[in-house]
Parts: sequence; C-alpha cells; structure tokens
Amino acid sequence: MIIGIDVGGTHADGVLLQGGTIRAKKKVLLGGEALEESIITLLQALVPADKSRLRRIHLSTTLCTNALIQQSLDRVGMFIQAGPGMNPEFLRCGDDVHFLSGAVDHRGQVQRGPSLAEVEEAAVAMREKNIDSVGIVTKFSHRNNEHELWVRNKIADDFNHISLGHRLSGMPNFPRRVYTTWLNSALKSRFHLFRQAMQFGFSRLNIDCPCYILKADGGTISFDGACEFPCQTIHSGPSASVMGALALVGGNRDAILLDIGGTTTDIALLADGIPLLEPYGASVGGRPTLIRALLTRSVGLGGDSSVVWEDGAFRIGPERRGAPMTFGGGAPTPTDAMRVLGRISEGREDRARQAMEMLRPGESAEKTAEELLQCFADKVYGVVGNMIEEVFSRPVYTVADFLEREKITPENLIVIGGPAAALQATLESAFNLPCLVPADYEVANAVGAARARLTVQASLYADTTQRRLTIPEISLLESIDKLFDMDSAEQRLEEAVRMLARELGGEAPVEIDFIERMQMNTVRGFATTGRIISLKAQIRPGLTEITE
Amino acid sequence: MTLFMPRAPRKTGLVLFPAFDWCISPSHPEREERLLYTKDQLIEEGLEDVENIYFFNPEMALEKDVDRVHLCVPSAAELMTASHFISTGGAIRAARALMDREVERAFAIVRPPGHHAMQTVFGDRGFCIVNIEAIMVEYIRRHYGVRKIAIVDTDCHHGDGTQDIFYNDPDTLFISMHQDGRTIFPGSGFVHESGGPSAPGYTINLPLPPSTSEEGFDTVMERVVLPLLEEFQPELIINSAGQDNHYSDPITNMNFTAQGYARLNSNLNPDICVLEGGYALEGALPYTNLGIILAMAGMDTSHVREPDYMPERFVQSAEMNRYIDDICDQAIGVFAGRHEAKKQFAGQQQVVERKRIFYDTTMFQAAETRVYHLCSRCPGFTEVTAEGLHQHIHGFSVPFNACGSCASKAKDSFAKTDRESDTVTVLQDRVADIFERK
Repeated sequence: MIIGIDVGGTHADGVLLQGGTIRAKKKVLLGGEALEESIITLLQALVPADKSRLRRIHLSTTLCTNALIQQSLDRVGMFIQAGPGMNPEFLRCGDDVHFLSGAVDHRGQVQRGPSLAEVEEAAVAMREKNIDSVGIVTKFSHRNNEHELWVRNKIADDFNHISLGHRLSGMPNFPRRVYTTWLNSALKSRFHLFRQAMQFGFSRLNIDCPCYILKADGGTISFDGACEFPCQTIHSGPSASVMGALALVGGNRDAILLDIGGTTTDIALLADGIPLLEPYGASVGGRPTLIRALLTRSVGLGGDSSVVWEDGAFRIGPERRGAPMTFGGGAPTPTDAMRVLGRISEGREDRARQAMEMLRPGESAEKTAEELLQCFADKVYGVVGNMIEEVFSRPVYTVADFLEREKITPENLIVIGGPAAALQATLESAFNLPCLVPADYEVANAVGAARARLTVQASLYADTTQRRLTIPEISLLESIDKLFDMDSAEQRLEEAVRMLARELGGEAPVEIDFIERMQMNTVRGFATTGRIISLKAQIRPGLTEITE
Repeated sequence: MTLFMPRAPRKTGLVLFPAFDWCISPSHPEREERLLYTKDQLIEEGLEDVENIYFFNPEMALEKDVDRVHLCVPSAAELMTASHFISTGGAIRAARALMDREVERAFAIVRPPGHHAMQTVFGDRGFCIVNIEAIMVEYIRRHYGVRKIAIVDTDCHHGDGTQDIFYNDPDTLFISMHQDGRTIFPGSGFVHESGGPSAPGYTINLPLPPSTSEEGFDTVMERVVLPLLEEFQPELIINSAGQDNHYSDPITNMNFTAQGYARLNSNLNPDICVLEGGYALEGALPYTNLGIILAMAGMDTSHVREPDYMPERFVQSAEMNRYIDDICDQAIGVFAGRHEAKKQFAGQQQVVERKRIFYDTTMFQAAETRVYHLCSRCPGFTEVTAEGLHQHIHGFSVPFNACGSCASKAKDSFAKTDRESDTVTVLQDRVADIFERK
C-alpha cells in the first residue's frame, strides 16, 4: 500500500492506495498549524491498521514554493566563474556574489585556473556575514567540473551547505545553472528542518516506511536526496496533477491534460502517453532554472474567474472577485453559466440567471451561458494550440531532425478539477476531441503523488581527442582511451543512471531511455583526431504498478 | 524574466541551424563539426532566455525562391541537397522575422554558406552552391517591395558570387572587404571591379593586405563603408557575416578578433546578418558569433574575448596603415565617380562581358558570356550564355527594377530562341516573378 499526499494552496489531500484502488481518502484545511502538522494529521487518518503493509509515503509539498514566496530563504554566498561571454553582472542575484577569474571553454578545456586569493577573500567575506550556505558555479562545468570541485575543496571546512552547479544538472545554460544552484542553496536549511519535523511525526505514528518527495518532473526522489537537492521539489503540485490524470485515465496516445480550478487552468501535453518536459527546466519566481520539470502552462481561466462583457465579447479572468453569484458572490462567473445550463446542481438558479442577465441584458440567460462557456473553451483551445506550436518550434540542429519533425496531434482531452464534468460537453465541441473526465478526479493529485515513480536524468560527454569523459550528475571526470565509442558511452551512462537511482530512490530502476544521442568526428588539418560523443539517459516520468 | 535575465535593447532573431549531419567531405572545412562549439557557446550563455532574443527554426526554401536568382544547370533541384534548401530557408526565415516585425535585427547562423555562388550555377564553388543572401534579398524585394539594399561582405574571401549577381543593379550597393585576391581564393575583388554598365560604382571592393587587424577594419568602416552607406541611404543593410578574418583561422591570413567583429557590427548596424565562412571552429567562431549577436542586439560585448586574446598582438605597422588608407582612397573615388562612369555607356545598346568561372570544389571551369541590353530608363535585361561540364545554358534575366519594355524584349527574345537539346533555355523575369524553361 502507498499513501499519496498532495499539499495545495488551501488544503491538503491524501489517499491510501492498494493496487489501483483507493482504500481511503482524506482532506484537511491548511492554515493555523505548521505544514508538517497538517501532513501528520492526514497520515494519521490514512495509515492502514496493519502498518507493516504500508510500503511507502509519497509527498508533494509546497514547502519550497512557500519559502520562496515568503522569502524565508537562506542567505547564500555565490562563487561564480563566468569566463568570456556575456557580461555576467546580471547574475549578481544577491549581495554575496563573488566573481572568480579563470575559465573553462566550450569543449571543457581549462583556459586559466581560478585564483586562490580570490576564493579565500570571498570565503572570508561570506563567513563574516554568517553565511552558511554557498553555491559554486562555473561556466561549462557540465563539460569539466574541475574548477567547481577545486573551489569546493578550498572552502569545504568553512560552510555547512555547499551546492555545486554540475551536480544539479548536466544540461547546458550557465545563467540557469547559477539560479538553480542559488535556489538549491537557499532552500537547504529550510528543507533539513522540514525533514526533521517529518521524521519526528513519523516516529510518533510508528511509521518506518520510506518517504519520497515529488519532483517537478513528475517523478519522485528519496527524502535524503531531496535534502541534498531541495530545488527539485518545487512545482510538485502541477506535477502531481499531471501524474494523477495519467493514473486515472492513462493511455499511450498524444493527449491534452487540463486541470481546471477556481481561478486557473493548468495545461500539460502527452506525446504517446508520456508527459512532455520543459526543454531546460522550470522557471521559479521569474528565475530560469535547470530544474527538470514537466511542461505545464497555467492560464488565468477558472470556474470562479470574473467575467465582463466588453465590445461584444466576453473577458474572462484572470482575476477573481469573490464567489460566483450562484453561491452568493457579486460578479458573474463561468460557474454561474454552468448553473444556468444545469451542468451543476448546487447553488441558486435565480442568482445564476441574474448573473447572465447582468452580463448581457435582454439576451436569454441560456444563450449567454452557452456562449460564455464556449468562449471559455475557445480560450483554452487557443492556449493549447500555442503550446503545441511552441513544442513544434523547439530548435532542431540536424537535417534529419528538421525533416522528421512531427506535430503533436492530440486524440483526446483528459480533464480534472472542480468544473471538469460541467465543461466536458463544451470542451468536446471546442476541441472536436473526445473529452474524458475520470472518476475520483477530486483526489487526482494525491493519486498522482502516490503513483509517481523515481525519475533520473544523466548526461555524458566524451572527447576522445582530449581523452576525457564526464558525467556531471555523478561528478565523474576521468580519462578514456581513443577507442571509447557509443557502445561504451551507453554502458557507462546506464551504470551512472542506476547508481543515481540507488542513491536518490533506492528502488530498482525500470526502463532507461537514451535521448539526444550525438557523435561527431573532430578533424584538425585533414586528419580525424578523435570524436565527441554526447548522450543523455533518463528514467522518464511514469507510474508505478502497485501490486499489493 | 526581466529581473533575472538581461534585456536586449533591440529585439533580435537568430536562426541557428548548424546542420550537424551535413558535410562536403569528412575532413573538409565545411564539415559537421563546424558550428558545434558555436552552438555550445550560445546555448551555454543562456541566449535563449535573454529577453528580446528569439530563436527560430529555418524553413525549406522553395525552388521558386532559388530560380528567382540563379540559373542552375541542369536545375536547382538536381544541384541542391536538403541542407542547401534549409540553409537558404534559414536566411529567408531571418528576413521574414525582420520584415514581419517579429524582431528588429536578425542573424541566420546557418550552413552551408552562399556568397561564392554566382548567377549561373554548375556546381559547388568555394563551399557554396546557391547564394543564400542573394536569394534572401530577392525574396525580400518580391514579398515586401523593398528596393534599395546594401550588402556588406565581411568574409575574408571576396564575395564574388554576390558581386556577380548584383553587378548591374544600381539599387544594390555591394561592398566587400577581404584579404587581397592575389593571396587567396577566389583571386578576385580588386578595386577596379566596380559594377556593370548600368551600375558602375555600386560594387565596391576593398582588398586588404594579409595580417590586417582591428585598426585596418576600423579604418575601412570609418572611411569607406559608413560614409558610402550614409550617401546611398539603403532601406536595408545586410552583412555577409563571414568570420574567417580571425587571427586563428586555418585557411586565411588575417589578424582580426572577436572584439573587432563585435565593434564592426555595432558600427555597421546591419538589419540582417547571414553567416558565411569562418573555419577556426574552436578558437574563433564561438566568440565571433557571440560578439556579433550581442552587437546586433545592442548588448555589452566587452566580455567577449578569446581566451588567448592579447591586445598588443593586434597593432598594425604604420606602413600597413598607409597602404590601407590608399585602398580606401581608391574605393571612395570609385563611388564618387559613379555618375561620371555611367556617362561612358550613354547611347550604347549592348555591353558584352566574358569570363571564366572556376569551380574549386570539384575542379572545373565554366565559360560565360553576358550581354547587358542597356536601357535609358532602367538597368536593362541581361542575356547569359554559359557552358560548364559539357552542359549549356542560355538565359534571359529581367531584374526586379526593369521597365516594362525591357521585360517584354526579354520575353520576346526568349520566345524567339529555338529550343536546343543540349541547352537549358530560360526566362527569368523578376518583375513578373516568372521562371520559364524550354
């Protein structure tokens, strides 16, 4: 059995799953007490009588998101080596950024070492300000982590929490690496406290099964792993929702997932049943990062969005002005339209009709309601269209990829969230696609959290001319011989993924996919000097089969 | 992302298409690896997240786009690979992004390049089959009605293909600065090559001595390029942005730098850049391309320096400065004398020009005769006969700015020309946008 808990903005949901069946569900309001306490309360209600049957607890938490919003972050000292390129001043993300000299180039070749004096001076300045959490990032550290490790070794005794850029992602994009590292450092002590509180709660309830945290990419990470990489746990709400919709409906086709709430609609896309990921990573509080994340877009359209009639058209949202009129509010909303059309049965019908008449006096309430919902669906349709276009427009770098590009062609819509059932028919006609609304959709997020499985990504870069192999995610940098080839690369990377899987999840890893395979000969003069191999491997987001 | 990423003062579009699976041959300078490190640098810099910098995929150019400019033998489709259609389409995409006001500046970082491809095409020369910026220029004229365009070729090799295509067009000011043709391929680009009978003085060549450095390029920009552009008043400025003047380029002998390229582009302020040559894959291209992009976008370029950059290595001798000054004087003279030069053709009906064109990639020569049919109201139409690899072409080419009577004369001549089995006979009418073969 698995317990899945999803912490949202106003309340937290939990389910106890046995196989695919929901054995228990529970909802608690958040507010008064600490987050940890609310989670423990939920657990108390969900834990099966025979505790030994509980295999795991999966938790999607807003802890990091809240810390960011409330600015209760650690003060972070940053060591940044930018080398040649854009003026790095914009990366001065706090008062404690220290730029270091030296450079590693695009091929991972050291051009100039960092200066010890600069590092020591920066470390002293940080210690004087009682900074205990630092980040170290160099440009191209995914190609060669030597300088990040060198700086770490010089300051290892001075700080409790040290985050290294290359460990957080093997992807390129230096500014994103800087922000990811900064964020990870800023969340560290906060997350440690959270784990302490949770462990205390577990022991109070006599639970000793492992606890996993949901990540932004729809996968899980062990609690220990999350303490090392807390930044991975942001945006776990949308990711729980996507995995939930997948668990409740599934399929292996291209599809659109909609989570329609009171004020927003979250959209995700499935290609052959697999949720699409952001090309680099999530954007967190405006900062671009390398935190692997599901591709989701949120639009300010929900059941409770306020509606006005302007210049012959409806304007829906993005703001919410209290409750829908049918529930006693003062401004017309899509929910009122649903009430007028009998798509929902709660709420006062006369107030709902009034809302429609306020919008368009003299027009029949049914017609206004019908057109309002249609407009709602059309707007979502427009955003989905843009998203599909955006995915199609992702850069390609080879003739073969250019010629083989294919657009996502969704075969159905999967809709969860409060107004899902009420909008089913309207969405079906706007998208001209079958629209599925799963049963139990109100606990979709908790189910998603419960069913999510471990995800891992690792990247390999081998340069046989320089005889160097690197897998940044496991800090691997070693010599290779001239004969190192794609087969050896696959083997090494698979080992790395299995190792990471053990470290971050402890589960037996499932299928490993190789993605972004590239091999190119390097030629100097007229002779081939070696080859560059670049390869990524992942355990993609998917669902665990719960057998007992 | 305003707070956390820089914002480019000018909206800049990039079409980055490194064609990692295309090469002329595995050890050729135009090989798969060419833009690998450039792409790695641009991505690592985070340019995709810079506000106001936009990345576009290329599109496939159409045969029609190619036929508007070239006379391909036997045909465009038979000479070009998918890569050529995509790189041409990359330049067109950049132009559309600019003309549709998606962006204010655009840079096509694509390969294969194009500036050695002439009007008639029998094969690959100087790594080029079709002239991607010329095709782009005529695409812009056809679809957006732009007339006056300046093309400044900053590749180390003379832009002989572009020169050939626009040689008789007074609405195209073509300026090429390059390593002196006596010392490098394609062996042309001297000051006296200054335009056809309808456009004398609108082709400006600046053959620079080997080892020309930042100072020399600065001089050429200040003394020639900028004043000429000021006088010509083009609606668009295009940079044929080769980067093989770099000190580390393996197939040239110049001494230019990333800082120099960035400054040149700041000063030139081109609307569109199209990548041409540049074969120092690791030591130059990642930095020169970045420098050009930042300059176009109006961003700070002061940190774009090669790791081994040392300013003292780029000082020119007084003698070299004098030599370059003299080249500048000659070029200024050519442009200043353009109205005078035109007078010598007054009253003439035809001017005939013969040349031999060397295709270096597969080593053969083509022979070409061009007859300029002059007109007092327009640049007139051109009749071309050429032979290469035992294939013949006989073409009648009507420029976009031709008058109605020249267009119908060309049409009539085409109609009267008998179809011959071993010759491709073509009417290329840019006014009516027609390409007809028989």
